[in-house]
Amino acid sequence: MDVFLQTLVAGILKGGLYALIGIGMTLIMGVMGIINLAHGQLMMLAMYVTFVLNTMGVDPYFSLFVAMPLLFMLGVAIQKFLLNPLLKTETILPENQVLMTVGIGMVLTEVVRFAFSSDYKYITTTYSNQTFFLGNISFSSALTIAFGIAIAFTVAMFFFLVKTDLGRSIRATAQDKDAATLMGVNTGRITVITFGLGSGLVAAAGCLLAPVYYIFPDLGGPFTAKAFIITILGGLGSTVGAIFGGVTLGMAESMGATYLGMEYEDIIGLTIFVLVLLFLPGGFKRLTKI
Amino acid sequence: MRGIIRGTTMVAAAMLIVGAMYGGALAADGIKVGVLLPLTGAQAKFGEIEKRSYEMAAEEINAKGGVNGRMIELVFEDDTGKPDVGRSGVEKLISREKVPVITGGYSSSVTAAATPVAQQFKVPFVISTGSADDITEKGYDYIFRINPPASEYPNAVKSFLHEVAKDVKTVALLYENSSFGQSSSKSFEKDAAALGLKIVVKEGYQAGAIDFKPVLTKVKAANPDMIYMVSYLMDASLLMRQSKELRINPKLFVGGAAGFTLPEFAKSAGDAADGVFSATLWVETLPFPGAKEYFNNFKKKYGSETEYHGAEAYAAMYVVADALKRAKSITPKDVRDALVTTDMMTAFGPVKFVSYGKKTQQNKLDTYLVQWQKGTLEAVWPTSVATKKYVYPTPPWDKRK
Repeated sequence: MDVFLQTLVAGILKGGLYALIGIGMTLIMGVMGIINLAHGQLMMLAMYVTFVLNTMGVDPYFSLFVAMPLLFMLGVAIQKFLLNPLLKTETILPENQVLMTVGIGMVLTEVVRFAFSSDYKYITTTYSNQTFFLGNISFSSALTIAFGIAIAFTVAMFFFLVKTDLGRSIRATAQDKDAATLMGVNTGRITVITFGLGSGLVAAAGCLLAPVYYIFPDLGGPFTAKAFIITILGGLGSTVGAIFGGVTLGMAESMGATYLGMEYEDIIGLTIFVLVLLFLPGGFKRLTKI
Repeated sequence: MRGIIRGTTMVAAAMLIVGAMYGGALAADGIKVGVLLPLTGAQAKFGEIEKRSYEMAAEEINAKGGVNGRMIELVFEDDTGKPDVGRSGVEKLISREKVPVITGGYSSSVTAAATPVAQQFKVPFVISTGSADDITEKGYDYIFRINPPASEYPNAVKSFLHEVAKDVKTVALLYENSSFGQSSSKSFEKDAAALGLKIVVKEGYQAGAIDFKPVLTKVKAANPDMIYMVSYLMDASLLMRQSKELRINPKLFVGGAAGFTLPEFAKSAGDAADGVFSATLWVETLPFPGAKEYFNNFKKKYGSETEYHGAEAYAAMYVVADALKRAKSITPKDVRDALVTTDMMTAFGPVKFVSYGKKTQQNKLDTYLVQWQKGTLEAVWPTSVATKKYVYPTPPWDKRK
């Protein structure tokens, strides 16, 4: 029983972080229909920001206040100067915005490699190794805090989208861009803000992951893949779906690792991905209707 | 046009004169030593550490008067990590450079391909690193090896389990799901069987995972006496951090790969690294004369850290120089005869070429067990070379300060 509970806890805590990684991507994908394949690389960048701040003595949790605005601005710049112009260009490939994000991801990786080399970096904090116990079940302090913050961000994001004018505009753009434009929504501005928000949220995930993981330039790719799976699991554009998607992926990985073998971790994630595509094409959004 | 021709002629003449002076000087004084190393390709990082160590040793020897007044001149040959290139490299060293002795030899496959050439031409080859067992099992009389063969690498772990950790009965084996991890775990399984240990958990994992807790939870439930991990750097540190988080308390943690001896491991794992054992061939804290100096000088000179590969190369250079000093003349035959009677101390440990089992002209060395104690990697086993006493059994996490 302890084994099961411990696995469950580990999976849920990891899932919270995954949700935060996925929510940025789901937002961008839902609103603009762009699969941002530089998503993990943006997170990697935020982790390096956290790392640099840490060498100056700034705690990773405080670097949230630096990394998020910084990545928000970078996201805005990417959308404004790199992705929006592509909308106006006639090309053979309709999906060249997606290809652009692949390129951006590569550039980010190589720039970081140039600046910091391929060596592993790590942030050691007093709470990196800390745990507390409920009965026999251990909770990693850092991951629990990360889980809390991730949920807070996701809830805030949910209310932002439902209650505020800007949030409503974003949802309107996601539902029907042309109709939104006709109703007076500046959809160009909305896409820019949305990309910024998505980048800021994944930056938060990076800051929260930094104390428990390690940092290297090639870290982006696998996380882009995870974010993509979560987005599909949750259903495009749904914040609640992203939470479910993230936690589902986290739990599936942990359960699989415990009961099947850790070698199969990725296989399990991808199998669920395929099953959801086959049997629940709309993702969990179809179930929650939000 | 005429100007160009004249210019070229003059440059050529100048080069000839300078070349003649150099060549002349070296031909009179220098002794060429051939070194076969991977200087490009995937193994180049270690090739570079070895090359620098050879150069450092040769500089030190030359500064102290060289070999009976003659300077050592290293001739490097890049094997690029490929056996056929290594073979032709040795041929080139022998036929064109006419070296009286060859050293180096990094990967087992290259070394295994290159040594028969040296044997055939009867030029002594002092192997510094290539570790496949059968290299010194062919009865070659011109092949010498300084490092222990691969099968003896886990000796220290085995003898430690045999003599100290006698109450270890069950083992959990974790390994990265790579070819290196799989082959290491298989050979460990054999050793475990020979020692009568029961493997209660055997798990491969994907390198680069965020969360090892599921696997470690299983390990915790099995409650083994020992955890043996074949992991590279960052997985190693996450494994230890999360073992601490879950308070897994085996009697000992043993690392089976380089990941556990690198300084980054302790820095990243923090106090979770304390008490972790690892097998190694050399560590700078070993009580051999010059070991610490070699490590410090290397760091000062090149600004990067060295490890056991470098120490092997550094020691090999001294062994070769020692043989050259004692040789009746600088011919391959006489150098070989001098190598046979080698009996010296190096920064890598004592060197004496002996025959045992099927092996001939093989240096018999202990392998060592090191343990992280308060952030320092201490040699703890065998006790004859220990810098600190081993901490066994590892204290449970909640009993630590």
